Amino acid sequence: MGMQRNEYTQSQKMMVFILSMSLFGLANLFTELLPEFTIGPVELSISYLAFIPLTLVMLFNPWYAAFGASVGEIIFGDLLLGDFGGLGELEGFIEFTMAMYIAGLLVTNLNSRKQIAIAAIVGVMIDQMLSTVVDVGKVWFGIEELEAVPGLPASILAIEGVSFVTEMVISGVLFGLIPALYLIPKLYGKIEPLLGIEPREGRVKASMTEWVSVRFVIIAVFLMFVAMISEFMATMDINFAVWEPEFLEQFGEGYIWLPISAAAVIFVTVVIAAVKFSKSRNSTKSRKSA
Amino acid sequence: MEFVERFKKSFNIEWVKLELLKTAYGKKETYMGQLDPRVIMIWYLIVSLLPWFTFNFVILIGLAIYTSVLALITRVSPLIIFLLAIGVIGELGYIFLVVFFMGGDFEAYASLITLTLKIIIMSIASIAAFASMDPEKLSDALLSFGVPAQFSFAVSYGYRMLPILMDEYQQIIQSFRLRGKAPEKAGFLKWKLVYYYVVIVIKAFYPMMLNTAKRTRTTVEALEVRGFSYSLHSEEAKKQKLSHLKIKGKEYQFIASSCVILTIIHVAGHLYYI
Repeated sequence: MGMQRNEYTQSQKMMVFILSMSLFGLANLFTELLPEFTIGPVELSISYLAFIPLTLVMLFNPWYAAFGASVGEIIFGDLLLGDFGGLGELEGFIEFTMAMYIAGLLVTNLNSRKQIAIAAIVGVMIDQMLSTVVDVGKVWFGIEELEAVPGLPASILAIEGVSFVTEMVISGVLFGLIPALYLIPKLYGKIEPLLGIEPREGRVKASMTEWVSVRFVIIAVFLMFVAMISEFMATMDINFAVWEPEFLEQFGEGYIWLPISAAAVIFVTVVIAAVKFSKSRNSTKSRKSA
Repeated sequence: MEFVERFKKSFNIEWVKLELLKTAYGKKETYMGQLDPRVIMIWYLIVSLLPWFTFNFVILIGLAIYTSVLALITRVSPLIIFLLAIGVIGELGYIFLVVFFMGGDFEAYASLITLTLKIIIMSIASIAAFASMDPEKLSDALLSFGVPAQFSFAVSYGYRMLPILMDEYQQIIQSFRLRGKAPEKAGFLKWKLVYYYVVIVIKAFYPMMLNTAKRTRTTVEALEVRGFSYSLHSEEAKKQKLSHLKIKGKEYQFIASSCVILTIIHVAGHLYYI
């Protein structure tokens, strides 16, 4: 797979980028205006048509397709609608680009429906996990004495949990996995020649190192998710023991931040390392080919 | 009732199309829209980060009022305000409901209000700053801050291609409907009809993807003929493109008045701490 990525010319990269941007942007215009069904705690809405970036990320170079999709979302879904969220967009941009990029890297054989299915689900799951982590973090950071408010941490967890499950079912399976399984076999080998690109070879396997770094990122995301949630649960426990003031004093507020900041540091380091590593690999390869 | 209204409107494709075009290409000659986009972006960054460094209720309310006034001055489209209101109200009501069921008391609401205020300030500030800003101006500002030129190209491209893409997608859907057969009975909660449309929406992306791929290749090849990739990385081209951005009297006025107002809000917050 590494070799193929380097075969893209400048204009082919641009083509994949524009293709992904236009298509996912269009889809976003559409979903932005769809109604949401809110039944009690369950909010049923199509937040994005995940099958479009998933399909493109698997058929083409994952990086340019993922990047294009995120840019398309910002430009069509927000900027042109006059709904640009500023910093909030950056958060979604990073989460989504990373999730889709990983989904694209996971697939090595486009004839295997199993691989496509796993990659599609993992992709959407990473996006949802990251956004859950950020949401929980926001509440944490934004409320002064979270532990002092009974019921609040539990409520936030319940809300996030429900939204995670519904998002996985609606965006992940109904509008991600199933359409992707329908579209990819139909498009594979048909759409690439239109851009003058060779179809991604079915049997080419990623080199071990690339796999390791992808796995590292997935595990890091997962660990961060677990860490955040479990620490949040810990806040709840302190909350139950609120009539024991010594307990609070014993641990202090800093205690909560320790594991979570450790997780964050590990996570950031892993990502930076993975990016640097793949960059240096690319540069050595291009030097060789030159 | 609002929900029903929104539902009806959403399913009228013509209305959606017109509204989108209106928002994307409407005239944007407002106070904030005329200022240098770089100044606005820095202003936005400061104002949306400030609330996260304080738990002082007076400062938060002051910031909320300040950003709201600026948003009112910039005459934001009703559609956008409507979408924001629905979002905020829904979120708030929902959190309140869950906290209530989980056995929280009034204190829970009080601390939630602080958080909600912070989020509201952020979103109002972004509306005030960006709703009235021409997308191409915004992309110029980003370009001058060092965002890759691809992004600024993508904005211009999207700006021009949006109507064509929308038309094409609509035509494909119409032709699917012409050749297909809608279900005779709508079923419980019209699920058969919904399913029918969902399948069309997804299937329509198959021809759409192929058509867009063809068009993309034409576009990029036409661009390459004009030396597009070269200009993406050329410092000189960038300088020429951004030469129209200038900070003049109006901008200085804006900067000075914002500094004064933000200082007053913070001083007031420390004097009348609640």
